[in-house]
Amino acid sequence: MNLKKMNKGLDFLREKYGAKAGEITIKDGHCYVGATPLLPGRMERKIVELKKMTENGTLEDVSTLRFASFAQKGADAEALLAKELDLAAYLGASDVTRVMAVASGNAINVLAKLANDVNVSVEVGAGLPRSEAAYDRHEIIAKRGVACDQTVDTHTPHASIRVSNANGMEEFTDVDTELFGLTYEEVWNVRAAFALLQGRASAKVWKAAWAKATKAAALAFAADKAKAAKTIAVKKGLDTNQSIKVSEVR
Amino acid sequence: MKPVKIAMMGMTHGHTRKYYQTLIENKKLDWVASCAQDEEAKKVYELYKTGVPCYLDPEEMYKKHPDIEAVVIASANDRHFEQMKWCAEKGIHILSMKIPSFDMKEYDEMIALCDKAGIVCQIELEMHYNSVVRRLEKLVKEGAVGKIKAVQMTNITLSPVWAFPWQGDPKASFGSVVPLKKGDPRFRGGALCDHPHIFDLIRHLTGSDFDYIYAEVAPNLRDGLKVEDMLMAVGKMKDGTAFLFDPSWSRLEEKLKVPGPGWERFPKRMEVNVTITGEKGMISCDCFGPNVYHNGAPNDRYTVQYTYFDEWVGLIDEFVDCIRNHKTPLINLKWHKQTIQAMLGCYESIQSGKIAYVGKAK
Repeated sequence: MNLKKMNKGLDFLREKYGAKAGEITIKDGHCYVGATPLLPGRMERKIVELKKMTENGTLEDVSTLRFASFAQKGADAEALLAKELDLAAYLGASDVTRVMAVASGNAINVLAKLANDVNVSVEVGAGLPRSEAAYDRHEIIAKRGVACDQTVDTHTPHASIRVSNANGMEEFTDVDTELFGLTYEEVWNVRAAFALLQGRASAKVWKAAWAKATKAAALAFAADKAKAAKTIAVKKGLDTNQSIKVSEVR
Repeated sequence: MKPVKIAMMGMTHGHTRKYYQTLIENKKLDWVASCAQDEEAKKVYELYKTGVPCYLDPEEMYKKHPDIEAVVIASANDRHFEQMKWCAEKGIHILSMKIPSFDMKEYDEMIALCDKAGIVCQIELEMHYNSVVRRLEKLVKEGAVGKIKAVQMTNITLSPVWAFPWQGDPKASFGSVVPLKKGDPRFRGGALCDHPHIFDLIRHLTGSDFDYIYAEVAPNLRDGLKVEDMLMAVGKMKDGTAFLFDPSWSRLEEKLKVPGPGWERFPKRMEVNVTITGEKGMISCDCFGPNVYHNGAPNDRYTVQYTYFDEWVGLIDEFVDCIRNHKTPLINLKWHKQTIQAMLGCYESIQSGKIAYVGKAK
């Protein structure tokens, strides 16, 4: 991630729409504003749309979440899993209370339970060659409706543009005109920082949510070692799975 | 920078609602008023609860808000001339919907009016602010596929006529009642009039002008529609680029009065796809994908839920920049004229059964 470009993008948004001052920093591969960890996954437009579907009646009575995240060799599988477990709690609108997992090499398969009884499966694999882009999948299965960020009959994501020439084939998916030129990962970290500085996202909520997600991810690896599910006590009080207001044109 | 005091007029165009969020959020703008064409348009406008006052008489709006600097003319095509004239006379900058006029005499008068008033007149061709199109233009410019030899483009959608009836009315949409061709009960003013984007984009991608065009209408998909809903066109640019365009309303819809969930019957409401064959390679492009997908409420059928509609953000930014910094918009009346002439060429070709040289259509 290019922090200089990201903070330039953040300044542009702050100046244009108004937000308090702040900058993005990186610690252990994760982005922060001050002491607050960013949750860029919650800002991805595909996740925003999925979250809306769980809240506006498009989907009724969610039963199961089927998630996947695949990255290049060397990627931190625990960090990938933490992001997915945070999204599971967010889209399932309930905290993770139990995790069981089986790990092997640079992959881990997780079966988790949310406090509202929803089942969650997460496939994580850090085995892609460096030349391949990371990808993920989020499927929500409900009594009324199935929603997914991949279209039916596909198992890898669609790209907006494919260019084929003597250099081979290259794909592009640009998702944000105002932040054109930033990578997918950079865009959503900037949008997350901006949401935080505008007060649309709460630092208190994100700190608590990320603490829960990282704890659940660590317990998943512990469950693999112990060959037994790990339980997480749910604390009453702060709801860390509320939706975030985003701009949209319909 | 002082925010631009902006208003909207007409409120009957299909894109009207797409401006609301941007006009409210962008700090470079102060959205002060709206003026609906009639009570029905006002009623629909009020469903969106923008908090911006809505009038029925432009003079009353102007009397109450004499500091209006710019107007988004969001009305039927046959109202554009009178509304542009109204703005020009008051020195108000204009953001026009995608078809200013199909009447070339009227079109030239619009150019003269705006030039005389010294106002900005930007045409709403929002695809230029789509991040995928931006990437596409960059790749072509950088020579990723070399010199373009052929282009295929779709600008296919559902038909908005049930929510915006003027788009099915030949006079309101085309500006006059002209039969499509001898023996055909339909008139000009349908799908073609809704889809200028591809006629514009090819000019930017190739850097060339239209040479000739040949078009055919197919049987309509919708019973009772007075205008065309299915057509295709082929032709050549002056640099030899061959093109194939599909600007149809080929995606069926529910007959909703107000656009909303469940409008589409085909899973996707709108597709702008581009395929380019160049001397050194090929590009395949889906300007509105990927998205998210569901089969939930209201109709429990497979549906594409769009994720990226930020075109209006960049469009409005350019408009404000042109007003405050005295710039000419990328899509201005003079540039856009040839795009309109190419669309007229399609109608001319449909009528004659022959190719039409662009700019020479009657």
